[in-house]
Amino acid sequence: MVGIFDHPQLLLFFVFSGVLIAGALGVVFHPNPISSAVLLVLAFFALAGIYAVLGSVFVATMQVLVYAGAIMVLVVFVLMLLSLHDDGISKLWKHPAKKFFLLFFVAILGIVLTNAVREGVPNSQSPAHGYSSSGEYEYSIAAENGGLSKPKTVRGNTAVVGASMFLDYLLPFEVLSVLLLAAVLGAVILGKKNLGKKPGEGDL
Amino acid sequence: MNPTISGIPVEYILILACIVFTIGVAGVLFRRSAVVIFMSVELILNSVNLVFVTFSKALQQVQGEVIVFFVMAIAAAEAAIGLALVVAIQRRKKTSFVDEMNLMKW
Repeated sequence: MVGIFDHPQLLLFFVFSGVLIAGALGVVFHPNPISSAVLLVLAFFALAGIYAVLGSVFVATMQVLVYAGAIMVLVVFVLMLLSLHDDGISKLWKHPAKKFFLLFFVAILGIVLTNAVREGVPNSQSPAHGYSSSGEYEYSIAAENGGLSKPKTVRGNTAVVGASMFLDYLLPFEVLSVLLLAAVLGAVILGKKNLGKKPGEGDL
Repeated sequence: MNPTISGIPVEYILILACIVFTIGVAGVLFRRSAVVIFMSVELILNSVNLVFVTFSKALQQVQGEVIVFFVMAIAAAEAAIGLALVVAIQRRKKTSFVDEMNLMKW
């Protein structure tokens, strides 16, 4: 057990966790979709705070920029485009089979959680990648051309993550760019007015 | 290796991720509005991101943090396509509630 007074980060972690869980519950159980979106932004900011406490500063920055910024703007835009009246919790809640399965999965989750907490998390003994022996972010770039250029070492969270992304994961990165292009094209096609409708044909 | 990350036990963070994941699943199951369901899916993806960062720090492998950015990009693509689908269906069926979309029922 770790005391709060030994580690002030733990207090920050609990504060951010409380905000995150409250925000997530608000997203699910608030009847008004607009309020849900605002609470989701709050949850994203809290999660960025948790990333920052953990020491992953670059991920925290991207969380704020991409999630709390770009994606949420899209969601709120679509919410404004659609009907704005209250939604309420679904009628599915009254369905006994769904309730049973939810309780079933919650029970399994509880068993797994208690087991994991009792046994702890096993740590692998594989050699560290992207970290120096002292636990700091560090990434060594090998020499090129048979030693014509000297090997380089980059330090710091952003530099190490970037080096690993563009050296180890270059192919997934490029595939992802193709996927994003396809997504943009698909969104444009879906947004066209007369989707799948021949001229003169009525509504489905 | 270190079972705590800057003073925070790994178990606490994993439990937090589990709770957020469960809340997201509950949102997918219980909400009627398609956009709120998308927001719940974002919650699920975020809990997975938290697990990636946690294990990246605990195992001292930087790959986990790289994969977080891939997940974010996938989430962005999913949001763009999904919300475009919602708008297209809204135009045709005049509703964005998933229990009123019975196009694929037989």
